[in-house]
Amino acid sequence: MERFAGTFGRWLMTPIILVLIAIGLYYFLRRIGWKHRQAMGFSLISPWVIGFLIFTAFPLVYSLFLSFTDYNLFNKPNWVGLSNYKWLFTKDIEFWKSVKLTLSYAAITLPIGVIGSLLVAMLLNKKIKGVGIFRTIYYLPAVLPEVAVALLWRLFFNSESGLLNYMLQPILKLFNLGKPDWFGDARFVLPAFAIMSIWGIFGTNTVVFLAALQGVPRSLYEVADLDGASAFKKFWNITVPQISPIILLQIIMGMIGALQVFTVAMFVRPTSAAGKFLNQLIYERGFTQLHMGEASAIAWVLFIIILALSLLVFKTTPAWVYYESEGMN
Amino acid sequence: MKNSKGKMIGKIITYIIVIGLAIIILIPFFWMISTALKSDADIFAWPPEWIPRPPQWHNFADAWNAMPFSKYLSNTLFIVILGMTGEMISETLVAYGFARFDFPGKNVIFFILLSTMMLPFHVTLIPTFVIWNKLGLVNNFDPLVLRSWTAWGPFYIFLLRQFFMGIPIELDEAAEIDGASPLQTFYHILLPQIKPALLAIGVFTFKGYWNDFLGPMIYLGDAEKYTMNIGMYFFMGGPNEPPKWNYLMAMSTIIALPIIILFFAAQKYFIEGVTFSGLKE
Repeated sequence: MERFAGTFGRWLMTPIILVLIAIGLYYFLRRIGWKHRQAMGFSLISPWVIGFLIFTAFPLVYSLFLSFTDYNLFNKPNWVGLSNYKWLFTKDIEFWKSVKLTLSYAAITLPIGVIGSLLVAMLLNKKIKGVGIFRTIYYLPAVLPEVAVALLWRLFFNSESGLLNYMLQPILKLFNLGKPDWFGDARFVLPAFAIMSIWGIFGTNTVVFLAALQGVPRSLYEVADLDGASAFKKFWNITVPQISPIILLQIIMGMIGALQVFTVAMFVRPTSAAGKFLNQLIYERGFTQLHMGEASAIAWVLFIIILALSLLVFKTTPAWVYYESEGMN
Repeated sequence: MKNSKGKMIGKIITYIIVIGLAIIILIPFFWMISTALKSDADIFAWPPEWIPRPPQWHNFADAWNAMPFSKYLSNTLFIVILGMTGEMISETLVAYGFARFDFPGKNVIFFILLSTMMLPFHVTLIPTFVIWNKLGLVNNFDPLVLRSWTAWGPFYIFLLRQFFMGIPIELDEAAEIDGASPLQTFYHILLPQIKPALLAIGVFTFKGYWNDFLGPMIYLGDAEKYTMNIGMYFFMGGPNEPPKWNYLMAMSTIIALPIIILFFAAQKYFIEGVTFSGLKE
């Protein structure tokens, strides 16, 4: 029990401090002329604001600073200018491989995840018997810990005796091929991840699309039925525009998730010949080798990639995302 | 007549696909338990064995005792309970602030809150580690649980806010005419109304802390303080040692079980919670 005592005490103190700050803030805001409810509201959200300043805003700026230094956790950070970035872009043997692997992974798994989960959600939105049981089963993948999922995949893809190669046996025999060594052979790593991503179709993504589909007004389909529209036309002209904001949300969140793979890769352990995911590289450089400056530089490159791709997706939204309020005009 | 026949065939195809996909989803679960029950020799049997004969039930106890998992369980529960409590209380209050009060800059702050969802966590990882290191709290549970009080789940705040906004404001006003303070209104009027959302967030946060791997991996260097996930990492073997697959799968089953039970118990509210957030702007 000893190992819990210190943390528990500090854990009890934290909300007391936060409440005291909130009360102080309230009186301060009242003094500078805010109304009672205004000051109350800001005090209520102040814990988030404090957390944001300490654990998001400051670290963001600080990691940018660290990326220009040679920080190693023990010595004072020395300013080294752009040399971390220069090293990464020109000399580092792992970096470009990592960028390529991470981007290819996202490019392969994102469409499978978004399109697949939309199709599955449409299937579950139909009137079928026992739909409750199926919805629960389809949600199960989100329940299993990521670590367990990764381990299962490793077992499943095992070259010698994995289930996948067992199931593929008839096909392999037909073409007289040997058993592919999925995670051991660099050529097969991406296809293996593509197969894995089928699993990502189910779970939360499906539930979110299901929720969106249930929000589409029935009357729209009824009108289309009167006009004799085909199922595909209804899907393309009613369903897709109506749920387009959710499709956008899924694309953005899916992309960010795909670019940040970490736990799965740590447990699946694909051959290093295929490269490492950017987040693995950050972890290795930062926490195993303690090159925190370099790791920060990689983290910022990843951040900029994510920002740029998100902006790119947002740029395309006027062409295909439909908002209810616009439709009124 | 023709039409109804076509519909019938369509229905049958739908059922075949729905059931087929359900089987695809269930196979890994079945395989996890099946592997957990295999002897070392049977794990890599070819052709693969679906049902181990005889099932090695003692693998569960052996895996549990191979490492001090009782200790790891108490460590994990400590983190889960503290983290969950802190998050649920702080996030509910913050969401209440966003949903029911107006103050200068509110929309900008809410926009920033939502955009933090898009921030890759590895960007802030190193400086955050440096902060905890400077405070001398690395190798302690503190970095994993203290932050929970600062409402650090933007999605949960969003979900709770949606729920609060779905409650008619007249209820608040009636309570205030009766002389209730905003905090009394919050506690007596609003909180009972958002139970489904609280339950959904309870399940989400429980799962988040229970399954967390990166946090404990970075912050807990001391073997006394390992969580279950970290303990399991030892069965992964090393360069010259193969993974203990049956133990890994036995522990995976044990770790997954509470979450599966929790999800089934809260299922109705859970789906409602996600659905209600409406996700319709």
